[in-house]
Amino acid sequence: MREDWYVFLVAAACVGLYVYGCIFWCIIAYRRRANREPATFAGNSRLEIFYVALPLLIVIGLFGVTLAKELPVDGVVPKPANRIAVDAFRWSWAFTYPGGFTTRGTPYDPPTLYLPLRRVTEIDLTSSDVTHSFWIPAFLFKRDAIPGMRNVFDLTPIRTGAFLSRCAQFCGIDHALMTFTTRVVPDAAYDRYVASRGAVTP
Amino acid sequence: MIEWMTTTDHKKIGIMYIVTTMTFFFIGGCLAMLIRAQLARPDNDFLSAHAYNQVFTLHGTAMIFFVIAPFGLGLANFLVPLQIGAPDVAFPRLNATAFWMFAIAGIVVFSGLAGYGGAAATGWTAYAPLSEIAEGTGAGQDLWLIGLLLASVSTILTAINLMVTIFLFRAPGMTMWRLPIFVWEIVATGVLILMAFPSLTAVLALLLIDRHLGGHFFDPAYGGNAVLYQHLFWFFGHPEVYVMILPYFGIITEIVATFSHKPVFGYVGLVIAAFAIAGLSIGVWAHHMFTTGAVSNPFFSAVSFLIAVPTGVKFLNWIGTMWKGSITFPTPMLFAVGFMLNFLIGGITGVMIASPPIDYGVHDSYFIVNHFHYTLAGGSMFALFAALYFWFPKMFGTQLSDRLGAWCFALMFVGFNVTFMPMAFMGLEGMARRVYTYPNIAHLGLLNAIATGGSIVLALGVIVFVVDVVTAIARRIPAPANPWHGYSLEWATSSPPPEFNFDALPPIRSRRPVWETPS
Repeated sequence: MREDWYVFLVAAACVGLYVYGCIFWCIIAYRRRANREPATFAGNSRLEIFYVALPLLIVIGLFGVTLAKELPVDGVVPKPANRIAVDAFRWSWAFTYPGGFTTRGTPYDPPTLYLPLRRVTEIDLTSSDVTHSFWIPAFLFKRDAIPGMRNVFDLTPIRTGAFLSRCAQFCGIDHALMTFTTRVVPDAAYDRYVASRGAVTP
Repeated sequence: MIEWMTTTDHKKIGIMYIVTTMTFFFIGGCLAMLIRAQLARPDNDFLSAHAYNQVFTLHGTAMIFFVIAPFGLGLANFLVPLQIGAPDVAFPRLNATAFWMFAIAGIVVFSGLAGYGGAAATGWTAYAPLSEIAEGTGAGQDLWLIGLLLASVSTILTAINLMVTIFLFRAPGMTMWRLPIFVWEIVATGVLILMAFPSLTAVLALLLIDRHLGGHFFDPAYGGNAVLYQHLFWFFGHPEVYVMILPYFGIITEIVATFSHKPVFGYVGLVIAAFAIAGLSIGVWAHHMFTTGAVSNPFFSAVSFLIAVPTGVKFLNWIGTMWKGSITFPTPMLFAVGFMLNFLIGGITGVMIASPPIDYGVHDSYFIVNHFHYTLAGGSMFALFAALYFWFPKMFGTQLSDRLGAWCFALMFVGFNVTFMPMAFMGLEGMARRVYTYPNIAHLGLLNAIATGGSIVLALGVIVFVVDVVTAIARRIPAPANPWHGYSLEWATSSPPPEFNFDALPPIRSRRPVWETPS
């Protein structure tokens, strides 16, 4: 997703600077001068067609980049190595790990989501009350937790660490406090955590 | 007083729309200052969570439903008959009805503040099931729903009225292809309103039924569907975005051409672009729902990208209009240039978030707050001020000060950018929308302090505007019929115009009848 972001950033900067250049050039070069009459033309078909074609080509290119990036992001593997069920509720999270044990947080004691490093983890996301959104800013990813619906996606963390994560969809009074910590740990530590049903925290 | 309350004159109704929307603008602006005060530093406790939630809900509701959208229609109310050479709109009494429904709607929404539990506190989007349970159960949410139902119906009535007026009440010689671009943009806006607003009316009614009659439309426990609410809401909500920009595109086109002293560049292209935007905007609603996992992201992404093309055409036509002109910079033109500079940033970030992989990262974060304020505040609001400065002499027969106007613009432009630019970085650092408090991580404290500082400068700009209006009305220096050397028909009549608009119409033989009439 990061490459996608940079492609868009470069395209944005080019288009932005070009249009800014045109605007500033016009307002400086064509400001009123005593001995100059304004032109009287009211169009230029060739230029106008060019200016439809050019942005069209740019957005077609950007759409290509989007498709190339989105399909892998949205894809899920058929047999994930690890599966965690996430239930969002007002205003915290419950994480159910393989083996069926659950950790449940509160707004004032946010829970921790442990993920194994470089292993595909399937997240099974739903909500028990209103619409929430599961957001890990460091992963540049979020997905909504919607009551009555299951959202399934894969996470494959590539570095260890603790990442502040939160609900992104406004869900009422304590929405601001609906956070959790995503902690990416080495495989062995994760397996110990799951085997001890949460007793041994990595 | 009685005269104004019973009037069916489109000019008086237009002015009442503008006064009402500006009143809501000041209220919405004060609410925005409360938001910035609360977020000025991390872990602040100036406002409670529930108070903050009401404040941002009312800020969004006021600015969208009671300022930006109705100002465009109110201005059209005043201008369209003048620009097409008609004595009034097609249905003057319907016009008055629509205005009073709208004014009452605003009072109803805000009256929630007086009741137990306060006003609505579920955001201007009022997503179900949140708006059906918990803090959504108070009278405030019902008053919000009833107010918006009134506003929604009022908007539909006004759209019909303006479209019929434009199609049937044009003066002899005023063919469709001679209409000012502003009038064309109002036609496109009217089409959009007729397509989108019934969906708003429906979703509000369904929500009321759910809340009070056990409808369960959006309640999954009884076979309802929470995503359905989002579909119905955004099927209205995205075209609404263009209802809030197309009239302002028209304003900018007229102002840029007037002060470049040159004909509009690419007139036909601009008209086609307006309808292309209107058409495409019907098919992009679910880009607000990329992260739901319940919609076809590639389809809505592709259409969202495409809408950048006609919007780009508008920009290139404004630049083409200025190209080789003889440009002067009174206050309306300053605001028009400010509009272009700000809106461009909103447009560019719009293309970025049309890409779902990027949207997954920034959706519902302050990056989005940056994006839509660059379009609606830096864009539409700047065009709104351009329009006020441009048509103020025509409406009130007295001119605003160019010196104060330049100060107003400078303060607002600097203040706006200092307020909203840091928000892009807040979003990238992980700050979510609609939070009353945030931890002091990364640079969030610093960025928020800068934004709050900027908002004070922006507010000073608005205060300069108020001073300007008050002194202009006190001094009452009479304005000439055509103070800006404008070309469309409203400049052919006195300032302010007589009761039925024109004592005599000039011959209409081109798109610029006033420039081609020897005075």
